[in-house]
Amino acid sequence: MGDSCYAIEANDLVKVFRTRWRRREVRAVDGISLQVEPGATFGLLGANGAGKTTFVKMILSAVRPTSGCAKVFGRDSRSPDARLPVGYLPENHRFPTYLTGAGMLDLYGALSGMSEAARRRRIPELLELTGIGKWADIRLGKYSKGMLQRVGLAQALLHDPKLLILDEPTDGVDPVGRVHIRGVLQTLEQKGTAIFINSHLLNEVELFCRDVAIIHKGRVALTGRVKDLTRTKGFRVSTSGAPERLRDHLSAKAAAVASLNGSVQFHFATIEEANEAVDALRAEKCLVESLTSSASTLEEVFVRTVQNG
Amino acid sequence: MGSLFWIQTAGLIRDTFREAMARKIFWGLFGLSTLMILFVLFLLRIDVVEGATATIGLFGFERTRLMDVDRIVRGAHSFVAAFLYSFGMFLAVFASAGLVPAILEPGRIELLLSKPVGRAHILFGRFAGTLLVVTANIAWLVAGVWVVFGWKTGIWNAAFLWTIATTVFLFSVLLSVVFLTGVAFESTALSTMIPVAMIIVSPILAQERTMVKLMSSEWSRQVWRGLYYALPKAADLAMVTLGLVRDRQADWWWPVWTSGVFGAVSLAAAVILFRRRDF
Repeated sequence: MGDSCYAIEANDLVKVFRTRWRRREVRAVDGISLQVEPGATFGLLGANGAGKTTFVKMILSAVRPTSGCAKVFGRDSRSPDARLPVGYLPENHRFPTYLTGAGMLDLYGALSGMSEAARRRRIPELLELTGIGKWADIRLGKYSKGMLQRVGLAQALLHDPKLLILDEPTDGVDPVGRVHIRGVLQTLEQKGTAIFINSHLLNEVELFCRDVAIIHKGRVALTGRVKDLTRTKGFRVSTSGAPERLRDHLSAKAAAVASLNGSVQFHFATIEEANEAVDALRAEKCLVESLTSSASTLEEVFVRTVQNG
Repeated sequence: MGSLFWIQTAGLIRDTFREAMARKIFWGLFGLSTLMILFVLFLLRIDVVEGATATIGLFGFERTRLMDVDRIVRGAHSFVAAFLYSFGMFLAVFASAGLVPAILEPGRIELLLSKPVGRAHILFGRFAGTLLVVTANIAWLVAGVWVVFGWKTGIWNAAFLWTIATTVFLFSVLLSVVFLTGVAFESTALSTMIPVAMIIVSPILAQERTMVKLMSSEWSRQVWRGLYYALPKAADLAMVTLGLVRDRQADWWWPVWTSGVFGAVSLAAAVILFRRRDF
């Protein structure tokens, strides 16, 4: 392993796709630099065509960068050895349907460099862990989409990777299955496995990931901790029966005012302003119905970032 | 090379075998080879097997002298070798042409490339697996026919076994073309058509001396010679094999090394192309 302490380290990665006769160029990835720490849970977000999948494929060397470089645990991502500690579940995977679940795991286990004895030990464990133990000897052609997703996750976990890259991991999985998969991933997170999720399911990313990057038009538009990006944005004071003079006074100070079923909601940017409003209302013996913080969801952050980009 | 290399290579070869089984490629070729052996067994009727007094019936003809029996056996061996070089080679190309585009399918190739296996390694593993599938069937057919004739006539023409080596060699050259076409175009149809076209034009190009005399311009002669020298020499290799089977001198070195170079260049080009491609 090299000097880098990052599970993934991308430096100014660029990918330009050219049409067959090189007349037109499409910059799918336009200078992405980002780091994923070992043991982190990282979500990569972006609209369709933003460059997420191309970025992931460059990390796995399925796509060659036009310029820039990527490292996996300090090793150049173009070297096959860099992929030894990586487990990957692609989006729209197509597993060989002539194989059984156990046979498929055996193949990808061998390609990951696992000995026959290790494969024989791990395959039943992983099939049980992902909840498809009874289907081990059934051909993959008979599996439902959700089951294929589970066996796909099993192949990604088989060799106990230090970095797990998942492209839409819960795609096609029912709600119970999603909870199950999330549970499996949480166990891995506790073991210190870095988990990199490429997903358009913002709620899933918000629930599971510690860090996030939003990609827009091939560039990193926003990156940071989920809790920082979705931290409290303001405070809402809800009241009823305030005299008009006081309402006008508070409206002048508030960032926004809304009326709802006879109540008036004043939005303030800081907690101090909200408290001043509460003091003023109580001095006039007005009823304060609630004082709540208003947080932005990751979806709001995402939409704002993409629209402003 | 460490154990990782061999574990991965075994995995790639095993996967090719499984896919060949699932696509009925292996069993199809095995079934045809077995039918051929049974056909020979059915045709071959021996009354007495005692050296020079042996009487053999084949295709309705009865022969009694050892010299004649030997000639018939070698003739039948030649027939099997010719069958392998023509019909058998077509079948092997048809059967294996889909095995390269199959691994390049979106959703499958990304997963393969995400494993700690080099791209050249993936291609060579697939190549070795396909070659093994076809080799197993050629060996079964040739060895089966050889045993049937040896058992029935007492004539064990070991030279016939060279057919295994020469046909597998020609198939490996054509398989390189299948791989190059498969990687370049991801098309089973093209991967079939191009090597088959090479088999078809080979006997025509092999008439080099005659054709060069008939051609009026030097430019067309050079084109003809160029194609003949560059492309795999299926017809010449077939003649070499027939010569070996009939115990005649054959100039084997020229067609072997030129075809070998063509195969090696094709396979190298396939690897270079595969390593440069984005998936």
